[in-house]
Amino acid sequence: MVLEHIEGDVRPGAITALIGPNGAGKSTLIQAIMGELRPVSGKVECSIARERRAWLPQQLALDLSFPMSVEELVMTGTWPSHGAFKGYCEAHYRKGRDIMARLGISHLAHRQLGELSGGQRQRALIGRTLMQEAELLLLDEPFANVDRDTIDILVRILRQMADDGMTILIVLHDMDHLRRLADEVLMLNAGHGQWLAPSALQQPMASANLMSFDTAGGRHVGTA
Amino acid sequence: MLALLDAWFVAPFGYGFMRRAAVGGLALSLAAPPLGVFLVLRGMSLIGDAMAHAILPGVALGFLLAGFSLPAMSIGGVLFGLLVALLAGAVSKMGGQREDAAMASFFIIALAAGVMMISLGGSSVDLTHVLFGSILAINSTALLLIAGITSLIVVTLALVFRALVVECLDPLFLRGQSRRNAWVHSVFLALLVLNLTAGFQTLGTLMAVGLMMLPATAARFWSKRLEGLIGIAVVLAMLSSTGGLLLSYHLDIPSGPSIILLAGVGYLFSALFGRYHSLTARLRRKAAPLGAESTSH
Repeated sequence: MVLEHIEGDVRPGAITALIGPNGAGKSTLIQAIMGELRPVSGKVECSIARERRAWLPQQLALDLSFPMSVEELVMTGTWPSHGAFKGYCEAHYRKGRDIMARLGISHLAHRQLGELSGGQRQRALIGRTLMQEAELLLLDEPFANVDRDTIDILVRILRQMADDGMTILIVLHDMDHLRRLADEVLMLNAGHGQWLAPSALQQPMASANLMSFDTAGGRHVGTA
Repeated sequence: MLALLDAWFVAPFGYGFMRRAAVGGLALSLAAPPLGVFLVLRGMSLIGDAMAHAILPGVALGFLLAGFSLPAMSIGGVLFGLLVALLAGAVSKMGGQREDAAMASFFIIALAAGVMMISLGGSSVDLTHVLFGSILAINSTALLLIAGITSLIVVTLALVFRALVVECLDPLFLRGQSRRNAWVHSVFLALLVLNLTAGFQTLGTLMAVGLMMLPATAARFWSKRLEGLIGIAVVLAMLSSTGGLLLSYHLDIPSGPSIILLAGVGYLFSALFGRYHSLTARLRRKAAPLGAESTSH
């Protein structure tokens, strides 16, 4: 999908919902922010370090037959601080357990990923993101295939994460989820972006912008 | 009874070549199966096969230049294997084709080139040795080479273990962390080439894959955990390499095929009687429906 014209900045510490019909370029925009795709013209800027960006793609690249427990998955979120070689210490295991408790998956800690339901898997993945101490979270339809209880917990936790300063960009379809979560709304349609949230439109957005994208060739909007 | 046991299991190791072959086999059994487990988990089971063919021209070149010298053949094999892996990676990056498609094309070219080179420079006996191995070929130099390479593999594997796991599970996560994490895949392919080079001396280039893959695929029927998979695969490999050597000694059959066939028997047995996903596990499940199995774990 080709994005033709989007301009704007994602406000730090807010939950920005990406909406639009199928094929509007929502996933493309997310991939561009992650640096997986380069814009042909214009630019996508992100001031957050690469390892502090977390991305949960829509069709999970996650191999569910892989023999790994929930706790092990959450612990891989230590990659930015620990990399491939550094050992985990007790403090990190404790943090992992706290995170699992927050997400209500403590009892699943030693379950294998392949045995989880869609909702449980989504919680475990959010757990990895919390472990990662990500500053930017990109979620592509996180509530697809997820049970109601999980949605309630995730909505609460995402809100909490945003209050703690995390910037969240989330692809949503359901109006109910949109009402419960979104601080700002960016609607994509046929490659064009339009900012919608009435509350956000009333506020000046001049304060420290984290990200800006402009695929309309040459012009930049406020930089980071 | 004791005399029989002695004649079957102990006496053969009175010969130096049997002792060397057994030690070589055990060393290989420690290094190869973990690589096989990762290949299976990444859905790359056939890549091992491809790489085995890829090292052949290098082995042949070493053979042509230096005769039946294992170090020369090994160095040639490593270099060629890495070259083919690099080429395949480059072609798949160029666009369009997936890595396995590029690999499939290169390895068959490499196989043809290797067979051609050997038959130009040697006899069909030499060809059989290179393709299917010969335990008589294991002298002390070869054993040192095998031990050195397998130690290197085991140590490296331990070092990059977490990276491999993360990459296997969710490559996008790893790529998201840093562009530089591409090294994980390259290191893995390099270990694969090294392992096959160490294996071809006992097992031959074509059979060396077997000790890597069969214990790994068989272990899938016995464990759902990574540590379990690796442990079981290593034990299976050790049993089949030692058992295969004994069979080859007593029945006067080539060592490579008999080791691999024994591992194959292990695989078939696992597929029939293993704890998970095997034929009997499926029957048990039918008899005790709904979650009876999940609680046992």
